[in-house]
Amino acid sequence: MNTQDHISKEYNDELEQLRAKVLNMGGLVEDSFNDATKALLKGKVQLAREASKEDYKINALEVSIDEDCSNMIALRQPAASDLRNIFAVVKIVTDLERMGDESEKIAKFTAELSTNSHSMKFYNSLKSLVQNTREMLSAALDCYARLDAEKALEVLELDNEVDAEFINVNRILTTYLLEDIKNIEDTIKVMWCARSIERVGDHAKNICEYVVYIVKGNDIRHVIDEESRQGREK
Amino acid sequence: MRKGTDVELLQNLGDTVGKPLIDGDSRMSCSKVDVFYNNNNQAIFDISVDLGKNEILAMIGPSGCGKSTLLRCLNRMNDTIEGCKVEGEITLDGIDVYSKNIDPVLLRSNVGMVFQKPNPFPKSIYDNVAYGPRLHGLARNGAELDDLVEESLIKSGLWKETKDRLNKPGTGLSGGQQQRLCIARTIAVKPEVILMDEPTSALDPIATATIEELMYELKSSYTIAVVTHSMQQAARISDRTAYFHLGRLVEVNETNKVFTNPEHELTENYITGRFG
Amino acid sequence: MWLEDIENNMNNTKIVQASLKKRYAKERRFKAYGIFSISLSLLFLSFLLFDITHKAMPAFTQTYLKLDIDFSYKNLKLKEGSRYSEKELFSASYRQLTSKSLYEIFPEVTNRKDKKVLRNFVSSGAQYNLRDLVIENPSLIGTKKSIWVLADDDIDSFAKGLIDRNLPESERRIKDNQLVWIDTLEADNRIEKRLNIGFLTQGDSREPEQAGIWGAIKGSFFTMLITLILSFPIGVAAAVYLEEFAPKNNWFVDLIEVNINNLAAVPSVVFGILGLAVYINLFGLPRSAPLVGGLVLFLMTLPTIIIATRAAIKSVPPSIREAALGVGASKMQMISHHVLPLAMPGILTGSIIGMAQALGESAPLLMIGMVAFVADIPQGFMDPSTVLPVQIFIWSDSPERAFIALTSAAIVVLLIFLFLMNLLAIILRKKFETRW
Repeated sequence: MNTQDHISKEYNDELEQLRAKVLNMGGLVEDSFNDATKALLKGKVQLAREASKEDYKINALEVSIDEDCSNMIALRQPAASDLRNIFAVVKIVTDLERMGDESEKIAKFTAELSTNSHSMKFYNSLKSLVQNTREMLSAALDCYARLDAEKALEVLELDNEVDAEFINVNRILTTYLLEDIKNIEDTIKVMWCARSIERVGDHAKNICEYVVYIVKGNDIRHVIDEESRQGREK
Repeated sequence: MRKGTDVELLQNLGDTVGKPLIDGDSRMSCSKVDVFYNNNNQAIFDISVDLGKNEILAMIGPSGCGKSTLLRCLNRMNDTIEGCKVEGEITLDGIDVYSKNIDPVLLRSNVGMVFQKPNPFPKSIYDNVAYGPRLHGLARNGAELDDLVEESLIKSGLWKETKDRLNKPGTGLSGGQQQRLCIARTIAVKPEVILMDEPTSALDPIATATIEELMYELKSSYTIAVVTHSMQQAARISDRTAYFHLGRLVEVNETNKVFTNPEHELTENYITGRFG
Repeated sequence: MWLEDIENNMNNTKIVQASLKKRYAKERRFKAYGIFSISLSLLFLSFLLFDITHKAMPAFTQTYLKLDIDFSYKNLKLKEGSRYSEKELFSASYRQLTSKSLYEIFPEVTNRKDKKVLRNFVSSGAQYNLRDLVIENPSLIGTKKSIWVLADDDIDSFAKGLIDRNLPESERRIKDNQLVWIDTLEADNRIEKRLNIGFLTQGDSREPEQAGIWGAIKGSFFTMLITLILSFPIGVAAAVYLEEFAPKNNWFVDLIEVNINNLAAVPSVVFGILGLAVYINLFGLPRSAPLVGGLVLFLMTLPTIIIATRAAIKSVPPSIREAALGVGASKMQMISHHVLPLAMPGILTGSIIGMAQALGESAPLLMIGMVAFVADIPQGFMDPSTVLPVQIFIWSDSPERAFIALTSAAIVVLLIFLFLMNLLAIILRKKFETRW
């Protein structure tokens, strides 16, 4: 990425502020996800209720960042890397906001879980999925912070693992569904949570694609999907 | 993209990146052109670039980078500057324009030029447009000349505003109208190529927009090369953009590529405002 | 913090205010100096004009005497008859006619000396006027008519009040007996002042009453014509070459430029000496001819025209030249279609001023011999002639009283010409300037 400063100090500052806001939002999303999934794994309803307290900040940041981008486009007429940067930020912010929503859902479902000892088996099945997704999210935000396209491509690959994990979890949870009819409601709620976790992984993958776009100027969205789909078909 | 300071980048500049040359027919072509002033100061270093048929090529770059100098070589206007030497080959439809048996006067009737500051002659509007055709004998009689003047004024979008006052002085028009008059004057001699040296830098935004619209319409009949200081203008109107830096041609590419994902870091720096 | 800023601003304002008084006072003084200088100049100018015009007034009228001329055959010494050839009329004797008439009016004058004085009341040229009358109208022969004849310059001066009758006789040019005769003639209504047309239609003469500037005007005209025909085209062409075609950093061209600029400052007498040495001695051209005068003045005016033309050409904006070249005009076409027409106001102004200067030159023309007394009106470029300023110079040297008035009148005529030429320059400049 271009390391030189703009001649206009204000422009430089604006871009810096934008980056800081995005990273701030990312941090909030990360916290929200980590708290929600922690509550889920431990089965702690109280924790779950507190987890979504800060979500309003995430939404406020989305609005604020979008406004900043709109202003910069109007006033600065960004070109080349600056343009890609701002364009990508608008998209990244959407993904971040969706991740916040998913975390909220996880916390909500967790809060509705009835407290009983079945949570242990959920913990074991979900632990791996949550771990990988947390890694992906953290790594994706890191890639954006450092604009590291190579790392982003690596992180992209992690999503395949997350997807595989999800299929696994689904299978396990389905057997619980059939075995443990008494707790079917809880199991279904946990399945929804798993789905939300997988979604967070997808959004993290998107963020990596945007990082590649910013740095290299190639829009690799859907290309990787197509290639992997063709690869799977073979 | 390569990283480094601008000086380093310039020293390590290899060939022009992108697609400076066109496969197939080009209208004008520069090949390894060097331009010197007063025998020692080199202003243009080894530039090769093609001008395609019916395209608009925008030439951008910081001040003093040589884009105007190169433009003026295309119609040999630099001949009027003492001590200016041009080496290399510049061709129009394959013919070397600097060869001994090419008359610069004839060349300039094929390669017209519009200047930065509108400069209509202190004559009537009609006489302004008719001067060139009269000079070269392009019209056989008065009626033909009238038609030619009308056609040129229509093409440059001035006919409606001036058809009732053709004998009023050209200097009485507004800035934008004067520039359109200069364009009409240029196309009245039926050139193949039109060179424009910052044609709208002296005009207000509305006049600028009118001229840009005109350039777009002229594209279908002429080949146009525009030197401009406004990157937004280059982005708006051109098909290909050439970026010059200190006398060297750094990059030539399709305009949308140059402005979304330029190949060379120097181009990127200039376009994003990272140096002047 | 902001209080400090306000205080600083107020201090600044006070400082500026203090300095304002001085500045305005300075301005007022400067204006006063300017107005004073202008007033002084205007005062001197009006004094000069008033003095000259006042001195010139007498020259506008001429005194005539009414005499009863007897065109008898006896007086004319012609044979009696009815038809005479031109030659006969020409060679008839007209000299006595006026004298005889005067003797008739004053029969008491018998002394030879007195008679001579009386005879000289009439101008020596009067006889030629009478001759021309008779040639024009031969039927006058044998008749007696009252004719108004030109009075002598002394009588003329007296009639114009230039000779004070109250002075003692020894200090007066008009003696007492002359006074008596003049009074008689006046009482008889025989003395009249008429508009001096002859001033403008006659050539130079020893007698002031017959002197006119027509010869000088014609001489000036021929000389100016030669100067104009030579200096304008050559000057403009040289300036065009130096501005447009000459190589810029060439030592030879720079040398020429320096020389031309210096020539404009050379004293005009030097050109006269050059003319004498080259045109008259080397080429053998006739002395005092308008051709030679024109050639000398051409050398003098050339640098002025070249410099003015160069300045005018330089002032044509390069954007017009580029526009012309861009449309496909050749260099010569660009110059003749665009540069020269636009530079014309400056060129014309410079040329007219140069010509006006040349019109008023006398020193170089004196050197080539125009100081001689030339009575005949020049007919062509090779005839000896004089020019108006030289004529003034010659007349200012003459002793007769009447020449003072004539000199001043000639100066007035010259000033009028110069004024008209400058007016022409202003009109032309205004006319061309509006086209921009």
